[in-house]
Amino acid sequence: MARDRVSFRVGPSVDMPLLVSAVVIVTLGLVNLYSATSVYVDSLQRARLADVYVSQIYWVVVGGLLAIVAAAVDYRHFERLTTFLYPAGLLMLGLVFILGSDIRGSSRWIDLGRFAFQPSEFMKIVIILMIARFVHNDTRTEPRTLVHLLPALTIAGLPVIAVMAQPDLGTSVIYVLITASILSMNKLERKSLLTIFAVIAVLVPVSWNYILRDYQKARVTSFLNPEADRTGTGWHALQSQTAIGNGQLFGEGFTQGTQNQFGFLPDQFSDFPFSVFAEDWGFVGAVALISLYAFLTIWSIHVASEAKDRFGAAVAIGVGSMIFWHAVLNIGMAVGVVPVVGITLPLFSYGGSSTVTCLIGIGLLMNVSMRR
Amino acid sequence: MNFLLQRSDVGEFRRRYRWLVLFVVLVFAALTVRLLELQIIEGDVHRAQARRNIVRERNLGTTRGVIRDANGRVLAANRPSYTVYVTPTKIDLETIWPKVSKLVGLDETEKAKFLTKINDVRAQALAERKSKDRDKRPEQQLLLKYDVDRDVVAWLETQDPSGVEVVPTPVRYYPYGELGAHLLGYMREVDADLLSRLEGKGYRAGDRMGAIGIERRWESYLRGQRGMRKLLRGLRGNLSRESVEELEDKYLEEPRRIEPVPGRDVSLTIDIELEAAIERAMRGQLAGAVVIVDVRTGRLLAALSKPSFDPNIVSGGQGIAAAVDSFRRLFADPLKPTLDKTVSAAYPPGSTYKPFTALAGLSDGLIDPNTEVDCRGGYEYGKRYFRCTGVHRRVNLQEAITQSCNTYFYDLGSKISIDRLAAIGLDYGFGIKTGIGVNPEARGRMPTRAWYTRRYKEAFRGGFTLLSAIGQGASTVTVLQLTLAYAALANGGTLYQPQLVRSIETSDGTVVQEFPPRVRRMVSVDAEHLNMVKRGLEGVVHDKDGTAYKERIEGIDMSGKTGTAQVTHVTPRGADPDKVWYFNRDHAWFAGFAPSKSPEIAIVAIIEHGGGGGKYAVPVAMRVVRDWQKLKEKRLSAQQSAAPSTRGTL
Repeated sequence: MARDRVSFRVGPSVDMPLLVSAVVIVTLGLVNLYSATSVYVDSLQRARLADVYVSQIYWVVVGGLLAIVAAAVDYRHFERLTTFLYPAGLLMLGLVFILGSDIRGSSRWIDLGRFAFQPSEFMKIVIILMIARFVHNDTRTEPRTLVHLLPALTIAGLPVIAVMAQPDLGTSVIYVLITASILSMNKLERKSLLTIFAVIAVLVPVSWNYILRDYQKARVTSFLNPEADRTGTGWHALQSQTAIGNGQLFGEGFTQGTQNQFGFLPDQFSDFPFSVFAEDWGFVGAVALISLYAFLTIWSIHVASEAKDRFGAAVAIGVGSMIFWHAVLNIGMAVGVVPVVGITLPLFSYGGSSTVTCLIGIGLLMNVSMRR
Repeated sequence: MNFLLQRSDVGEFRRRYRWLVLFVVLVFAALTVRLLELQIIEGDVHRAQARRNIVRERNLGTTRGVIRDANGRVLAANRPSYTVYVTPTKIDLETIWPKVSKLVGLDETEKAKFLTKINDVRAQALAERKSKDRDKRPEQQLLLKYDVDRDVVAWLETQDPSGVEVVPTPVRYYPYGELGAHLLGYMREVDADLLSRLEGKGYRAGDRMGAIGIERRWESYLRGQRGMRKLLRGLRGNLSRESVEELEDKYLEEPRRIEPVPGRDVSLTIDIELEAAIERAMRGQLAGAVVIVDVRTGRLLAALSKPSFDPNIVSGGQGIAAAVDSFRRLFADPLKPTLDKTVSAAYPPGSTYKPFTALAGLSDGLIDPNTEVDCRGGYEYGKRYFRCTGVHRRVNLQEAITQSCNTYFYDLGSKISIDRLAAIGLDYGFGIKTGIGVNPEARGRMPTRAWYTRRYKEAFRGGFTLLSAIGQGASTVTVLQLTLAYAALANGGTLYQPQLVRSIETSDGTVVQEFPPRVRRMVSVDAEHLNMVKRGLEGVVHDKDGTAYKERIEGIDMSGKTGTAQVTHVTPRGADPDKVWYFNRDHAWFAGFAPSKSPEIAIVAIIEHGGGGGKYAVPVAMRVVRDWQKLKEKRLSAQQSAAPSTRGTL
């Protein structure tokens, strides 16, 4: 890849395109969060949400500091550290069931007094590192069979089961997608590929009947037929689409989106910040934001392609896929092409654990980029 | 660890990157296409939906038009009324509830009952609050008391206790109660069933509309148009007036406000005092009807059907429960108080039909004033013997009418065809709806030969004609038809369109529409023949032999004909024999006009199952005509004293 390193690099090795695009997304996220919480038609609601904006700034600062740490230490140290991080992460996921605070019917958080922390978010990074480590140590040259991939599937499988039990469908789907994305870098035997498709084909009806909870099924059915459920989950999806459509070409203007202002967007700062943004800034703004995510994803593939070892490349692909799948599923949910599952928009949604996790991911990406 | 080996390992990945980039680009492109669809292609649809989400239209109520009688007395108006609602989750049960419940006048059991309701709702609200969506659902309210007193309203409005709400709910008010209720009608709620039939007319569930009578017929005029005001939904907290206005300017589309249009007022031709006179005269009778028509215009001066109902109660003026209860009793009543007996029921006319038989005979030359028939108490026809009311010996036309001799008319009936009798009936408006427009109208029946053949599937018998000639058999008429026909006799053959409404006015009194008298048809009748019949009718009241003579009131001048209509009552199986005797009694009729020489009004009275017409119907009619005369004199003198300078002509 031909690239003018001088123009993009300041100092020894900082990856400017990565830094700039991440900072722009975080900044837009904060600006948008301000719009989402400044409900001017309802001063009671506005007073209640005043803290949301401020605390997100704290999380960005905390996450930024951790990202610097993640970027500064040579990533190869993380490879060794992973053997310790992975069991620790699993332990945390287990602790959720004992210490977890129950919010809306599922226990995802560990309450640490002043703030609650969500181990399943940080586990995403741990899974990326652990799978990357597996890929790094797997130096075969022939196409892999399922037996070869079994350790990787186990690595991902344990946290997936733990998170499904919380229950948190969205996060477990993300785990699976990240793992699949990294493993897709390997050559796969055709027979194994077919087996995987067959297993998925069997797993979908089985999980529908035995694993998914009723409310999770309701999300899917109301996604397939939103008109039938104008008050529940389907209502959320429809209101989000109305908000986005209401933005039209140039948007209603900053803090002027009526769907958001008049309280028609549920979870407007965690699940549906994209709808707020698209309503305020219209098609132009929405496409710009999507382009930023597309750039970030493609850029992380680029970083992977320039990485000097398999671990680095796999980490870059892992972080890139984490951002990609989050963005696609969240925006897809907002525009109504994906069922409503609680998946955040990376670097954009409100949420401490999620923001910090994404920033650490960006830090790791920077790390790989700086040490090519 | 071999550095070069690692580089080659990375090479395995290299061929994937291009595909990954392609995949990423395609997925984001797909999302962009979806955004294009939502924001550009469907943008207007979603913008419209977003506006609908935040805009609420609030109704601005209108007031229903007032109904007045011919002299400007209010017959139906609107009374302010207030309903008290309680919000169970807000009311203070320690301090407010005891005061409020005492104020609206609940007794101990009612109090306890309502308190359990409050607690039920509270428990329910508590359960919901725990689950989720607590601020989505509006607070449930319970109706505490309908139509509370004014002082209660005043107290509640000044104290404004939390959790207690007073809502104005205007109620239709009929100051004269049962008087003329069938004519005026009442109000009913527009329910789901009715709503589907009224689609496109702007009704909403919970609206009220006229049910029968004038209220129903003139609904579209009386109703008025509701107004509308657009509001923004979901404004909460302390917003300044300016910022609310700013928001409204921005989001509310024109028209933001439509003023309500009050309903039109309707002035009737009815004189409510005459209605009251009828009601007085009918006291002591169980069921019946009286109609009075101005013979010079066809306008109805009074129409009363007994028994009646109180439109205030059935319109809900005393609460829903009272209305439902009242309806249940009204429909169970064998005297059928909900039936408008002036237009919706047809009765055999009996002897009141004889003048029309006589006119047919005269015009066909079958009889002349000197034709005499010897009545020996009946008439032999074929194998049957038709009875008369008595033995009248030799009677001519005038005497036959005056004494109501059946034999004379049997004889005439044997000479005339039944179709001729039906034809003259149709001439005078029998067997045809009068088109008065209020309440479902019965047509009545003037049987013809064809009708009998169709009905009985056997050879027509001449005896049917004999029965038709005396107004029995299959002939039926409504009270209104008979009144208009007698008005035509009185005025020399003009059959008028009956009218109930004199004019329509706006709420400020401007006349929008007036209804001049309308002639339905001119009956071609020889004046001499008419005079012969009229002499007979005058004799009914004034001759010693007249069937109404005994019941006449001195100084009251009127003509008319009594009738006793035989009832063929089918006794329901299993009916209590002690109770059905009443329903087997004959209907008592009187039909006539007053004064005899220059008639002004036609009056018909029927006492259902009253017995003999002379004995039971005549006194009613007599007293009504007496009161009508008094009213006329009273109004004349009032007019003269009010305007002494103008010429006192009538």
